[in-house]
Amino acid sequence: MLSQSSNLVRTINNQEKYLRSSVFICGSKKLVTNNQHFDYPSTTLRLRSGQALRASAQCKQQIKRLVLDNGITLMVTENPTADIVAGRLFFKNAGGRWETREQAGLSHLLAVTLTKGTEKLSSAEIAERVESMGASLGTDAAADYFALSLKTVAADFGEMLKLVGEILRTPTFPTTEVELEKNLTVQNIRSQQESPFNVAYQGLRDAMYPQHPYGVSILGEETTVTQLNTSDLQQYHQTYFRPDNLVISLSGRLLVEDAVKIVEEVLGDWSAPPGGYPQLQLPRLEVKPCRRVEPQDTQQSIVMLGYLGSSVKHEDYAALKLLSTYLGNGLSSRLFVELREKRGLAYEVSALYPSRLEPSQFIAYMGTAPENTAVALAGLRTEVERLCNVELSEEELQGAKNKFLGQYALGKQTNGEIAHIFGWYETLGLGIEFDNRFQEDIAAVTPEMAQTVAQGYLKEPYISLVGPEKSIICS
Amino acid sequence: MEKLLEQIEEISFPANILKLDNGLTLIHQYMPTTPVVVADVWVDAGASAEPENWWGMAHFLEHMIFKGSKQVKPGEFDWAIENSGGITNAATSHDYAHFFITTAANNLPNNLSLLADILLQAAIPDDEFYRERDVVLEEIRGCYDDPDWIGFQALSETIYQHHPYRRSVLGEETDVAQHTPNQMRCFHRTHYQPENMTVALVGGVEREDALSLTTKVFADFSVRSECPPMVVDAEPPMTGIRRTEIYLPRIEQARLSLAWLGPGVERLEDALGLDLLAAILAGGSSSRLVRELREEKQLIMDIDSDFSLQRDSSLFTISAWLESERVEQVEEIIRSRIAQLQATPVTELELARCKRLLCNDYAFSTETPGQLAGLYGYYNTIAKIELAAIYPHQIQKFDRLTLQRIASQYLSSDRYAVTILKPC
Repeated sequence: MLSQSSNLVRTINNQEKYLRSSVFICGSKKLVTNNQHFDYPSTTLRLRSGQALRASAQCKQQIKRLVLDNGITLMVTENPTADIVAGRLFFKNAGGRWETREQAGLSHLLAVTLTKGTEKLSSAEIAERVESMGASLGTDAAADYFALSLKTVAADFGEMLKLVGEILRTPTFPTTEVELEKNLTVQNIRSQQESPFNVAYQGLRDAMYPQHPYGVSILGEETTVTQLNTSDLQQYHQTYFRPDNLVISLSGRLLVEDAVKIVEEVLGDWSAPPGGYPQLQLPRLEVKPCRRVEPQDTQQSIVMLGYLGSSVKHEDYAALKLLSTYLGNGLSSRLFVELREKRGLAYEVSALYPSRLEPSQFIAYMGTAPENTAVALAGLRTEVERLCNVELSEEELQGAKNKFLGQYALGKQTNGEIAHIFGWYETLGLGIEFDNRFQEDIAAVTPEMAQTVAQGYLKEPYISLVGPEKSIICS
Repeated sequence: MEKLLEQIEEISFPANILKLDNGLTLIHQYMPTTPVVVADVWVDAGASAEPENWWGMAHFLEHMIFKGSKQVKPGEFDWAIENSGGITNAATSHDYAHFFITTAANNLPNNLSLLADILLQAAIPDDEFYRERDVVLEEIRGCYDDPDWIGFQALSETIYQHHPYRRSVLGEETDVAQHTPNQMRCFHRTHYQPENMTVALVGGVEREDALSLTTKVFADFSVRSECPPMVVDAEPPMTGIRRTEIYLPRIEQARLSLAWLGPGVERLEDALGLDLLAAILAGGSSSRLVRELREEKQLIMDIDSDFSLQRDSSLFTISAWLESERVEQVEEIIRSRIAQLQATPVTELELARCKRLLCNDYAFSTETPGQLAGLYGYYNTIAKIELAAIYPHQIQKFDRLTLQRIASQYLSSDRYAVTILKPC
C-alpha cells in the first residue's frame, strides 16, 4: 500500500504501551507517512553483534553485485526463508545534499508527488495497483540519496517492478497533485514545531550548517516549498533519474538470474541522457560553537549538544561511531547509567551520530524537568568532555564494540533491512565491502585512538535548549 | 472463540506450546536459518491489574525489574546483555507487561537465566525505587508535551467510563509519587507467578534445549502475596455522542478522533472484521476516507483508522489531522460514511484488496524471531496463542454481508466518543 494500514499484528506495536527506554522517533509517529521526515538517523545503523552472530549472519548473506549495460547497479541477496521480496531503488547523487537552499524541500516534494501520475496511469490507478497486490511502495528523500522501497510476496515482484519502472521513467507531476502536496508539506513543516525535540534539533542543525543543505529539514521551509512548481520537479527528475545513477538492491525469495531478467526487461532499454551531471557546490563548514535558546511553555526542557563530526568516508568515522555508542547507545551506555540510572534526571537520554557523506553531527541530548535544565546541561557536557580528558579502559571500549557489532548484525534480519543496508553502502560509494571493513575498523579502535579523535572533534559544543523561558535562559 | 479454536486444528501451527509443571507456558519455534534467539516474557500484569489508587504501578514495576535481584546488581543485567551483543527492552500496556532480549544463540543460557532471575526475584531496593521514580515522572512529563498522546488519553477517558482502559498506563504524577516499595513488592509477588507468565522462545534454539533451559531458570518464584482486590464496574452503554474538546497552546494542527468500542477477545471473529473495516476506511491511498478527504476534497492533512485489540473490549478509532475550521465538516462526513457502511455492503473489489493487504501485511510482520515471539506472547497473554496463526485464514473468510453486520453491530453514526484538539 502507499501509506500505513492497520492490522492486528502491527497494532500490537502501535498500541498505547510504554517502553522502558524509548526508541528514537523524530516527529509524531502518526504524521509520518513515508518515512520522509526522518531526516534524522532512523535509517542509519541500528547496529551489530557478538562474534558468533556476526560470523553466521555473514555467511548467509551471499550478495551478488553486477552492473547492467546502461549503468544500473543491481545487487541481489537470495534469501528463500520467507515468501517476500524487498527492494530499495536508490538514486545516488540525489536527495537533500544536492538541493540549493533556495529550493530546499524539492527532493521531498518529488517523493510525495512521484506516485501521483504517469503518462499512462492516474494517481488513483497507481494506488489501486499497488494496494490490490497487497504490496507496499514508499518513497524517501534523504540527505544523501533519493530512494523507493517496495515489498511484495515473491510472485508479485515482476508486476511490481513493471509499475515502478513506469513511475521512475514517466512521472507527470500533475499540477493539482503538486499543489495539494505542497499545501500538505507546509502543514507538515508547521507540525514539526509541535515536538520540543524537533524544535531543539532544528536550532542545532541551523547553527551548525549555515547555508548548507544539511542545515534545513528535508521537508524544506515554508518559504521555499511554496515557490516550487511542476517544472522544478520535471527538471529534477530529468537531472537525477537516470540509469547510471540508479542502484537497485533486492533481497528475498528470488534467484539472481530471475532478478536480472526482470530488471533487464523493465529497465534495460532505459538509456542515460546525453549531457553531464551538475557540479556539487557546498559551502565550507566551520566550527563556530554557539547557543540557541527557544523558550516554550513545555513540561520538559530539551537539552541538546552538537559537535561537527566527520563524513562516513573519513578515517575518523569508526572511532566517532564507537564513541557515540559508548556514550549514548543503549541501557548500559555511559549517559544512560550516569544521568538516568544513577541520578534520575531523564527518561530519554541518548547520543547519535548519523552516517553521512558530508561532515555529520555528533549529538548528545536529554529531556528533563525544567528545574534540572542547568544540571542536565552540565552533566551532558561533563560526559562528553570526559571522552577528551580520560582514556577509556580496554574493558569499557570492548563493551562498546560488542554492543555495536551485535546490534549491527541484528540490524540485518529482515529482507527490507538487508536490501537497504547493502544498497545504501553502494549508493554512498562505500561498496558492499564496507560491511566487513566497517566492522574491522570498529574492532581496531584503541583507547588511545578514541581519545585522540574525541579531542579532535568534541571540544566545544553547539548548544540548543528548548523549554520554559526561566529555566533555559539561566542555564 | 470455541468455534475458532476448532478451525485451528486444520491449520498447521509452526510453534510448540508447552505447559510446564509449575503452570508456566512456553511457546517455542525453532528457526534453523538464524543464529539469533529472542526470548520474550509476557506477564499478565498490566495496568488493568492495578488495585484502586495503585495507578501506574505495573509500569513502574516494569522499570524496577531492571534494578535487579539479590544475585544481579543494578545495571548488571543491561551490561551483560549488551556486552554480549544483544538487545533488551520492556513495555507495559493495560493488558500485559513484557520483557525481551535478542541474543546470539550461544549466549542464550546465560542471558535467559539473568532475565528469569530479575523477573522472579526482583529486589526493588528502596533507594533505587525513589531514584527510578524520578525517571518515571520524566516519562510522564515527556508525554504531556506530545499532543497525540494527550488526544489519545482524552479519547480513552471519554469512551471508557469505568474500565481501567480509561486511565493512562503511566499513572498520574500524583499517583506515582505516593507509591511505596512495599506496595510494589506486593504487586510483584501477586502477579509475577508462573500461571501468569508466557515465555516465547523463537529462533536458533531447538526444542529440547529451549524446554530444559526454561524449566531450569523459571523455577524459583517469589513467595506469593496478595494485592488488594481490584473492582471493575460495568460500562454503561453509549447512548449518544460523548464529546470532549481540548484547547492546547503549542499545536499547529487540530486533531479529530472518533472512537467506538469493539468486542473483547472472546469474539475474535468480529474483532478481525473490524480490522478489515479499518483498512477499508483508511488503509492506504485507495481507501475510502483517504481518497475522499485527503485526495479529492483536500480537507485534511492525514487520516488513520486503527483497530486495537484488547482483552475486555477493543477500540476502533478514526483520527484526522486537519485545520480547526474543518473539524465539524469532516466529522459530518465521517459519520455519513459510517452510516454508509451499515446501509450498503462494501464492494467485492475493495474487500479483495483489503484482504490481500492485511494478509500480506501479516506475512511481512512475521519475518523475524522478535516479531514472532511478540505475536505469540501477545495472543497467549490476552487470549489463546493459537489465534495468532488463524489471522490470515480468518480474514480470507469474510464476505460482504458479514462485514455489513459487524459494521452495524459495533459502529454507529450517532453513538460514539469524539475528542477534538484545537490550537488556542
